[in-house]
Amino acid sequence: MTIDRLYRSGGDDPPVWRAPRPPSPPAPEPPRERSALAVRNADALVFTADMYGIQFDQLAALAGGERAARAAVARWRTLGYADSARLSPGPAWVWVTKAGLAACGLSYPPAQPALSRLAHIRAVTAVRMALQSTAAYQLARPFWRCERRIRSRHGVGVRQHLPDAEVHWPDEAPVAWAGECWAVEAELSPKTVARTTAIMREILVRTGDYGCLAADAAVPGKPARHARALYVCSSAAVGTVLRARAELGPLAARIEVRDLPRDARL
Amino acid sequence: MTRFGGRRAGPGYVWHPVRRALARGLGRLVCVLLALAALAVLAPVTVVAAGAAAFAWWRGWPPRRLFAAAAWCLPMVLAWLTAVAVWPAVPGGTGRRPPGGAPLWLRVLAAPGRAWLAMLHLAAHGQLAAAAVAAAPPAVPLGILAGGLAWAYRIMRMETGAGGLTPAAPAAFDARQWGHQVRTAKAMLAVPSALPLISRSGDVVTGATIRAVGHRGQRPGRAAAIPYPRLRSHQVVIGSTGTGKTTLLLRLWAGFMAAGLRRYAAGGADRPLLVVLDCKGGASSRKVADRARRVLRDAGARSTAIWPDEASLSLWELPPDRLVTTLLDLIEHGTGGAAYYSDVMEALVSLAVGAPCGPPVNSADFLGRLDADWLSAAYGAAGDAGAVATVRSGKKAFDDVSLRFRALWRRLGAGLDGGGSFADADAWYCILEGTAESAVAEAQARALTDLLASYATGGGREILLAVDEFSSVSRRLPIWRLYERARSLGLAVQVSAQSWEGLAGSDDERYRVATTAEGGIWLLRTPRPEPIVELAGTRSLVDTSRRYSGAGTWEDSGSSRARLVPVLDGDIVRRLDVGQTAYIYRGGVTYVQVKRLTGRQAALAPAVGRDAAPAADTLPLPRVWPGDGADPPSPLPRPWPGAPGPARVPDASEVLDEAFGARRE
Repeated sequence: MTIDRLYRSGGDDPPVWRAPRPPSPPAPEPPRERSALAVRNADALVFTADMYGIQFDQLAALAGGERAARAAVARWRTLGYADSARLSPGPAWVWVTKAGLAACGLSYPPAQPALSRLAHIRAVTAVRMALQSTAAYQLARPFWRCERRIRSRHGVGVRQHLPDAEVHWPDEAPVAWAGECWAVEAELSPKTVARTTAIMREILVRTGDYGCLAADAAVPGKPARHARALYVCSSAAVGTVLRARAELGPLAARIEVRDLPRDARL
Repeated sequence: MTRFGGRRAGPGYVWHPVRRALARGLGRLVCVLLALAALAVLAPVTVVAAGAAAFAWWRGWPPRRLFAAAAWCLPMVLAWLTAVAVWPAVPGGTGRRPPGGAPLWLRVLAAPGRAWLAMLHLAAHGQLAAAAVAAAPPAVPLGILAGGLAWAYRIMRMETGAGGLTPAAPAAFDARQWGHQVRTAKAMLAVPSALPLISRSGDVVTGATIRAVGHRGQRPGRAAAIPYPRLRSHQVVIGSTGTGKTTLLLRLWAGFMAAGLRRYAAGGADRPLLVVLDCKGGASSRKVADRARRVLRDAGARSTAIWPDEASLSLWELPPDRLVTTLLDLIEHGTGGAAYYSDVMEALVSLAVGAPCGPPVNSADFLGRLDADWLSAAYGAAGDAGAVATVRSGKKAFDDVSLRFRALWRRLGAGLDGGGSFADADAWYCILEGTAESAVAEAQARALTDLLASYATGGGREILLAVDEFSSVSRRLPIWRLYERARSLGLAVQVSAQSWEGLAGSDDERYRVATTAEGGIWLLRTPRPEPIVELAGTRSLVDTSRRYSGAGTWEDSGSSRARLVPVLDGDIVRRLDVGQTAYIYRGGVTYVQVKRLTGRQAALAPAVGRDAAPAADTLPLPRVWPGDGADPPSPLPRPWPGAPGPARVPDASEVLDEAFGARRE
């Protein structure tokens, strides 16, 4: 067998490379029947995604009734946007799946709420709902930056305390504290006073956003990121938080300590 | 048996030199013609090989960069072979492959020859661009590989002394290559963002590599990077004035700070702390301090304190027993009969520091205690009769001891009598007037190292202590003792000097310092590099001698032998340009063109009042303000150096009360 045989041209013409003929296009498949269902309560879906998950009674309060909540969850499950299960005593939990997060345009890693954090998640949700129900909040319409969103900007293993949420009040809001950024902490179980004081001080002196360079976290001369920190505490933790606030000296004026709403416990 | 000129050539026959040269010349001519023919036949490969070798020569590249380039062509070759195997050429453009065609393996095997034939045909038809494209897939990698081999052979011949027309050719070749490598390194420095301070792997980039001997990871024309742990080990920097020593040091300090902060942010290490002892003093040190502050700020340092101009430390934070030792060391004592006075002084200082009410909080407090009545009352109230007796026995010496300490504090100034601590800043630049006031600078150096050692025992920081021209103030604290002390405390010490002699007071100390530099030695241009050349070690090199034919040329015959040559070339070190340095580490050396760091301007704070808010680039350190000495030290802990934020915030009870009920007090 010689190279000439490879040409199979039978003459002295130079071998000419020709592009292979493109294969004929396959016959178009009939469009798959897609669900034409609309998303019910899209705001509640985004809320659920932001809060890691939500218990059914809180979702009912959010959706305007138990019936509406059941219908919304059923629709979300049909669309594959949410899943639900009984993770703790009381009503079932609902959380947003990967498809749901994609539909919401959120890039959080999809996960079922961790069992160890259920109580905390419920408490923070209760705090958010309580704050959202006030007249000033509905008038000013601030932005609730949840812990999940803050954490999504963070690298793994970074030693910084992350607040449970930030509330960004618009500059044009008709309230006295317009333009402020609040850090929200829901305290269920007491830490040590020293640790709580350190966290409070870290929150109040922080100047940079979460996820910024370590050197920009607290830069002298720059305005503080959080105008105040809102501690919403259980009866077990309030004593520690008050003692820690007393340790702060002049900074204590920027710490607000309040009680958790009654329905915040699991 | 052959006849040349009518004479028989047999065993023992010695050819005439002219005949021998003629025969050799003819032989070489034949070889050259054959080689030229082969090169002409393989023209595409030849062209690429020549270009690759010429490019490597021009850029001063090592051959392995060409080999790597050839390896990077492999995906192209694989894609081409796949295309040849999957879509073979078909006759007449019918688009159908006739039955009985060549099998797959043969098509792949014959692909290079087929490409070569295609190239010839296309070139014959005047389609040069198409011919180049047809030949490129096999010719480019093969050409680069051949060029690399040829370049490696050339370098081997030159390194062994066997190449070139004359024995001087290897030296000229090496000098030219050094020039090419320097040019390439400088070109890399000019490329924006080509040399970041920290590499992707977290190493500290100091500049561009000019040449590397024995360091496999460093390649000419690439970034010269050293791992962060080496900056956490002892290092030595030697370079004459005006050779770029300060530029190198600033780069190393900024790299230490940036890499340390990155590791700290990732939770892998403690927060870094850089302490620089500039033992020259004067205006030049203050300029360097300003540059250091700017580059460290850009590297991520939250604050840089300039001592004693803008910040102060407190000697009184030392533990009482350590404080007594340090205070006594600050005063020069005589020997012989004068030892009596030193014992008396030690007894009185111990009493003043160890008083029942606690150690002194500042110099005024300490000097006030050097009073017999005060000490008697203090110890008498505590019921310590022995101490009271000691006070009485040394009553006559109180005035002398007090006088000496008053003079000492007047000379030292307020730099050691403030309320600051090394914890207050990420970097401390301490200026000691070692040139103008060496005695004061010696005392300050002793006190600062004691303070730093005390602070380091607390842990929690990764500390780099950089000392420049420390030998000028090391009379009371030999530098090798500083080394050993730092090692026991986990500190890294970076010693810099203008010459080998400036490294320490004696040769023994110099060698002790240089041999314990586990982090490496940086050697800039210096007229006497021999001690470092000796410490750098040797490597094996083949040395070839060549025979002079007597007719103006050198013959190929000669002998080769392996010999040990120094890894570090002392002549290169003497010729180093500004900004070039040799980094010696573990029996290898890397010549580096240092990349200069330029910090942002206006790093120095404007003069502000005590209660004014500090500027963004400065630190609210306990500064030495005019009239500050009389201020009592605050018993409260120092405030966090971050932003204080608004002292009062608007009342938000409206929304909070509605949501959560009344405020908890």
